[in-house]
Amino acid sequence: MAIKTFRGGVHPPEKKDRSGGLAIERWCDIKQVVIPVNQHFGEPIQPLVGVGDMVKRGQKIADADGRMTVPLHASIAGVIKKIEPRALSNNLEGPCIVIEAQEGVSGDDFMAPLDAFTCSKDEALARVREAGIIGMGGAGFPAQVKLAPSKPISVVIANGAECEPYLTIDERTMIERPEDVVEGLAITMKIVSAPEGVIAVEQNKIRAVPLLEKAISSSPRTRAGMKMRVQVMRTKYPQGGEKMLITALTGKEVPSGGLPMDVGCVVQNVGTLCAMVEAFRDGKPLIERGLTISGGACKKPVNVIVPIGALVSDLVAAGATQVNEESLRKVIFGGPLMGVAVPNYAIPVQKNTSGVLFLGKEEVRPAEEEPCIRCGRCMRACGCRLSPALLAVAIETGDYREAEKIGLLDCIECGTCAYVCPAHRQLVQKFRVGKQVLRTIKQKEKEAQNAR
Amino acid sequence: MPDKPEKSLYLSSSPHAYSPVSTSSLMLSVVLALIPSTVYGIYLYGISALLSVLVSIASAVIGEYLFRKIIKATTTITDGSAVVTGLLIALIVPPKTPLWMVALGALFAIVVAKQFFGGLGSNPFNPALAARAFLLMSFPAAMTTWTMPNGMTVHADALSAASQAADATAAATSQIADATSAATPLGLIHGHYTIPQIAQYFGAEDTAGLYRQLFLGFRPGSMGESSILLILLGGLLLLSLGVIQWIIPVSVIGSTFIFSWLLGLDPIFTILTGGVMFAAFFMATDYSTRPLTPIGQALYGVGIGLIIVIIRKFGGYPEGVTYSILIMNILTPYLNKIRTKKYGYVAPLKPAKAAKGASK
Repeated sequence: MAIKTFRGGVHPPEKKDRSGGLAIERWCDIKQVVIPVNQHFGEPIQPLVGVGDMVKRGQKIADADGRMTVPLHASIAGVIKKIEPRALSNNLEGPCIVIEAQEGVSGDDFMAPLDAFTCSKDEALARVREAGIIGMGGAGFPAQVKLAPSKPISVVIANGAECEPYLTIDERTMIERPEDVVEGLAITMKIVSAPEGVIAVEQNKIRAVPLLEKAISSSPRTRAGMKMRVQVMRTKYPQGGEKMLITALTGKEVPSGGLPMDVGCVVQNVGTLCAMVEAFRDGKPLIERGLTISGGACKKPVNVIVPIGALVSDLVAAGATQVNEESLRKVIFGGPLMGVAVPNYAIPVQKNTSGVLFLGKEEVRPAEEEPCIRCGRCMRACGCRLSPALLAVAIETGDYREAEKIGLLDCIECGTCAYVCPAHRQLVQKFRVGKQVLRTIKQKEKEAQNAR
Repeated sequence: MPDKPEKSLYLSSSPHAYSPVSTSSLMLSVVLALIPSTVYGIYLYGISALLSVLVSIASAVIGEYLFRKIIKATTTITDGSAVVTGLLIALIVPPKTPLWMVALGALFAIVVAKQFFGGLGSNPFNPALAARAFLLMSFPAAMTTWTMPNGMTVHADALSAASQAADATAAATSQIADATSAATPLGLIHGHYTIPQIAQYFGAEDTAGLYRQLFLGFRPGSMGESSILLILLGGLLLLSLGVIQWIIPVSVIGSTFIFSWLLGLDPIFTILTGGVMFAAFFMATDYSTRPLTPIGQALYGVGIGLIIVIIRKFGGYPEGVTYSILIMNILTPYLNKIRTKKYGYVAPLKPAKAAKGASK
C-alpha cells in the first residue's frame, strides 16, 4: 500500500518509546474531581446541580440549549463540594464543579444501551450529544455537530496520526482496542451515511496496523458490507491536524474558512470513536479518557485512563506517575508542539487533554530571539503554504492588510514555523496575537460600515 | 496545590520543542561546503592565498565586532555570518590581491553593505559581492590582474599567432607578457579569441580537453571559481543538508546556459568560466538577498542568468556575475510578492462563519 502524506511539515524527535510500550492503566479510583463546566468549543453551559447535592457517576451535572453545546456528567460518584472558578489547562479561569467521593454515595447513572445501526439518525445524534462527546484530539468540537454535516460525506477518517512527540495514547488505544476503533468508525459512517471509512495511522505506529486490519476483517460491519480500511502515512507533524490529514489521504484541500465536510470528509480522533462506542453499547457518557503522561522530568511515564476532572497533582500524589521535581521546568497540557504550558499542575484533565508532559531542564531552552536570516525554512515547512517569515514582518510593521493577504487567518497555529526557525523566532506566537488584532480591526471596520 | 513554588516553572506559548538547527549551524555548513574550494585555491596559489583568506575573515569578524560595539548593539560575531562573508570575499577576488585591499573589501562588506542596513537578514545587497563591486571600481587594475596557478604554463604563441583585432590582442598579450600575471579564459574570450585558441593557450588538446580542464580547475582565476568539481561538491553538500534549495542554482546555471546559447556564445564555456557556478551555489543563494518564494526564486535565477549573458556578450567587462546578482537583489522585495498559492485556495469559497481550529 502506498504511504501517503501532505506537503511540508517536520519530523521532530518522536520520544514515543518512553510510553509507547506501556499498556493503558486505569486510575479511576480517586477521591476528588474538579470538572470544568465548559470543555467544548461553543456556547457556555450551566450547572444543573448545587453545592451539597449527591451525584452518581455518569449523572448529568451541567447543560444548556444551543447547537454548539454538549452536556457534562459527573465522573465520580460523590457530593458536590463547590462550584467555583478554577485555573484550567488553557491558562484561563473557568467555572468548575468540584465533586468529592463520599462514604455511601456510589453507583452509576448511565443511559440505556442503544443500537446505532437500527436507531434513527436523530436518535443517534441525540445519543452522541447526551453522552457529552466532543473531539478528544484537542479542539473539543461538539461531536453531534460534526456528525450532522449539511453536505454529503464520502469518507470518514479515524484520526490515529498522533503526530505530536511523546503522546502514545492513541497508539495504545489502537493496539488495545482495535475492535472499538473499528466499531466507532462504523457507527460514524452509519450516522453520516458515508460509503467509506479510513483509519489513518502514521508509520511509527505500524504495529497497530495488522491489529486494526484484523479487527476490520472480523467486524460484523464488514460482513454487513461496510467498506473500511487502514491507511499508513509517513510520520510527520502536523499530520494529525484535520486539514493536513484530509489532504494527506484524499489529496483534497479544505477550502479557506471551510470545514472538512466541504470536501466530503468527517475526521474523528480514535479516542472519540471509542467514547462513541461506549455511549451506544454501554450508555456511558464521556466521563473518563485516556492520556499519556510523559516528558523528560517524568520518572514514570504512563498511558492512563482517568476520570474527567482529575487533578494532575492528585494523580502524582496517588502514584499514578512520578515527577522529578529537581529537573522539572515546564508542565504542558497536550503535546510539545501545540500544548499549553501551565504554571502548576493542580489542573484538571479535560475531555480534550491528550497528554500531560513534564519537561526537564534539558528540554527547555529559554528562547533568545535572533534576527530573521530569511532562510525560508518556515516557508518550506508550513503545511498551509503560508509565508511565515514574510507574515512576521507584516505583523511587526503593523501592516495587517498585507498579513491578511499572506494568509494570517489561514494559519492553523501548529507551530511548525517556530519549531524549525534557526533564529528561534517566535513566529506562530506572533500569528496568534496578530490574528486577534486582525479580527478586532475587521470587527471595527464592519461596525464603522454599519454605522454609516 | 503543587509542592513546588510556581515561579520555578517556565511559561511560554507553544511550541515547546525546537529544531536543533541554528543560525550558526547553518553558517558552519556553508563554511564546510567552501572548504574544498578554499583548500584547492591555497594549493594553487600558495601561502599568499592562505593569508588572503585569513586576513579577509579576520577583518570581517573584527569589523562586525567593533561596529556593533560602537553602535552599542549586541555582539553577533558568534552567528558565523561574518566568517562566511570574509571567506567568500577571499574566494572571489584575484588570488594575489594586496592584503590591505582584501581587508578593506571585507570591512566594506560588513560595515557598509551589511551593518548599515541593520545587520544579518536586513541587508538588501549581497555583502561579498558589494565588496567585490566596490573593489573593482576603486582598484580596477589590481582587481583584474590574475596570477598563474603554481605549476601552470601556457602557450602564449597560440594567441600571438592568431590574427586578431590588433587592440584586443595587444591588451590580452600585454598581460601575458608579464611572467607572473595571466589571462583568464573569460578575459581571452572577451578579447575575441576563439575557444580552440584558448584551448591551445592552456595546453589542452581540443575543446573537450579545455572543458575538462576548466571543470577540474586548472586555469587562472579567483580561488573560489577555479574548480567546478569542488564547487559542485560543496553545492551538493549544502543541498543535501537542506541549507540551500535547488531552484536558484538550477535556474541560474540553466538560464545562463540557454541565454548564452541563444545569443551565440558557447554555452558550456560560459557556465564553466568566471563565477557562474560559484555564484549559483554560494552567492545567489544568500539568504538575506534572494527572494523567499519558490516562483520568486526561479525568476530571480533566470534574471541573473540573463544579465550575466548580456554583460558577457555586450558589456565592457568580461565577467557579469557580480553585477547581475546585485541588480537582481534590488528586485527581491518585489519577487517576494509572488507567493505560492495558500492551502485551501484551490477552489475559492466564501469564508464560513464558524472558523475551526485543527484537532491534533
